[in-house]
Amino acid sequence: MGSKKSKKLKQIMMSTRRKLIAHDNPQSPISEQYKTVRTSINFSSVDQQIRSIVVTSSGPGEGKSTTAANLAVVFAQEGKNVLLVDGDMRKPTSHYTFNVNNTFGLTSTLSRQKALREVVHQTDIKNLDLLTCGPIPPNPAELLSSRSMEELLKDIYQDYDMVVFDTPPLLAVTDAQVLSNKCDGTVLVLSSGTTEVDSAKKAKELLDTTKGKLLGVILNNREMKDTSYYYYGKN
Amino acid sequence: MEETINLRDLMQTLKKRMSLIILITLTAVLVSGGVSFFLLTPVYETSTQLLVNQSKSDQSAYNNPGQIQTNLQLINTYKEIITSPVILDKVSKELNMKTSDIQSNMTVSNQNDSQVVKLVVQDTDPAKAAKIANETADVFQKDIPDIMNVDNVTILTKAEVGEKLSPVKPKPLLNVVIALVVGLMIGVGISFLLEFLDNTIKTEQDVEKVLDVPVLGSVARIGDTKAEKKSRSTEERGERIG
Repeated sequence: MGSKKSKKLKQIMMSTRRKLIAHDNPQSPISEQYKTVRTSINFSSVDQQIRSIVVTSSGPGEGKSTTAANLAVVFAQEGKNVLLVDGDMRKPTSHYTFNVNNTFGLTSTLSRQKALREVVHQTDIKNLDLLTCGPIPPNPAELLSSRSMEELLKDIYQDYDMVVFDTPPLLAVTDAQVLSNKCDGTVLVLSSGTTEVDSAKKAKELLDTTKGKLLGVILNNREMKDTSYYYYGKN
Repeated sequence: MEETINLRDLMQTLKKRMSLIILITLTAVLVSGGVSFFLLTPVYETSTQLLVNQSKSDQSAYNNPGQIQTNLQLINTYKEIITSPVILDKVSKELNMKTSDIQSNMTVSNQNDSQVVKLVVQDTDPAKAAKIANETADVFQKDIPDIMNVDNVTILTKAEVGEKLSPVKPKPLLNVVIALVVGLMIGVGISFLLEFLDNTIKTEQDVEKVLDVPVLGSVARIGDTKAEKKSRSTEERGERIG
């Protein structure tokens, strides 16, 4: 392998690794912000406990994967048994984030080649397991809307208290719509200063049409002013 | 747009684009200052004064106000004559210059109904400006009896080159002040334009206004906070050692 390529790979791994801030630096203000989101999600539904959430956004690069991973981490820190599923079968990244291999994964179980327990990776983080994407399939949307997906969800609910799905962008493909229809709640990640008003509106409409329960918005990349805010952010 | 303009929002916008505004203003000031101090050649100004009076009867000039009126009206004629080729051709021949050059740098005026005509000459060289002014006055004085049958043109003051003659233009300070104001205006204009064209979601309020969906929380840009930067650098160091 060329040294250039390996260098690039290392760079990607380092940059994605760093994004697991809720685990790497649990005292940081950003980790606290993820915990605030966790609390909001826990309290967003009164009657029904939310056991599966879909993390999506209108366009690419708004921070879905980072948000999904960190949310999974903070839910695990709460003591829940959490499974993070990489539902982005177009551009999977979770195996970079957690530095595991992606030979088998979600697609393997959906196509009934492997059982769920065989493909789940245990992570360094207590209570957090990871289901990577697996081999990239030609028909992600069909896989996600299949019966085996529903069965897989039932399987997951038996072993885990909470499952977090990372998904492709709403405006690009329909995958997130399909998943949000099957899960208890959806959170929309918007990137402050990047997401346009129109695409945010469109994303919300798309979720509404599939009766996905939109729990709320996570405003990502928010500019923070230097205030006494950091009082609690011990380092 | 139906949203009302909020004064606080305006201030916020200005604050946010402060660096842009300052940058534009500073650039404008520096450019105008540089141009007016280093590029433009300074122009100096000298002047001479001429008294024009019909000499027929000195006393009647004071007794008869009509006479003065006539003189004042004549002054306008003199002003034309001074800048006409009749005079300036001779001046230009004397000084080896183009008539049109002299003409464009010369202004003739008289103040407040007085019979004193002021001849102002601008040039990059103050000595030359004085020379032109004096020469013109001389030629005019000499030639006017032939042209107008007036024999009483007196040169009141000769044009002189003072010790510290300051240039009349460019006025660097004025230019800089103008640039400052214009730069500020452009900067503010651009920042409002950018703000207006930017239709992205920024704050929690935007989300609630646009989507009518609760905000579960907001997350700062990773690597954006001070604490974050600090922790990252230590992390990197650790990785390098390991």
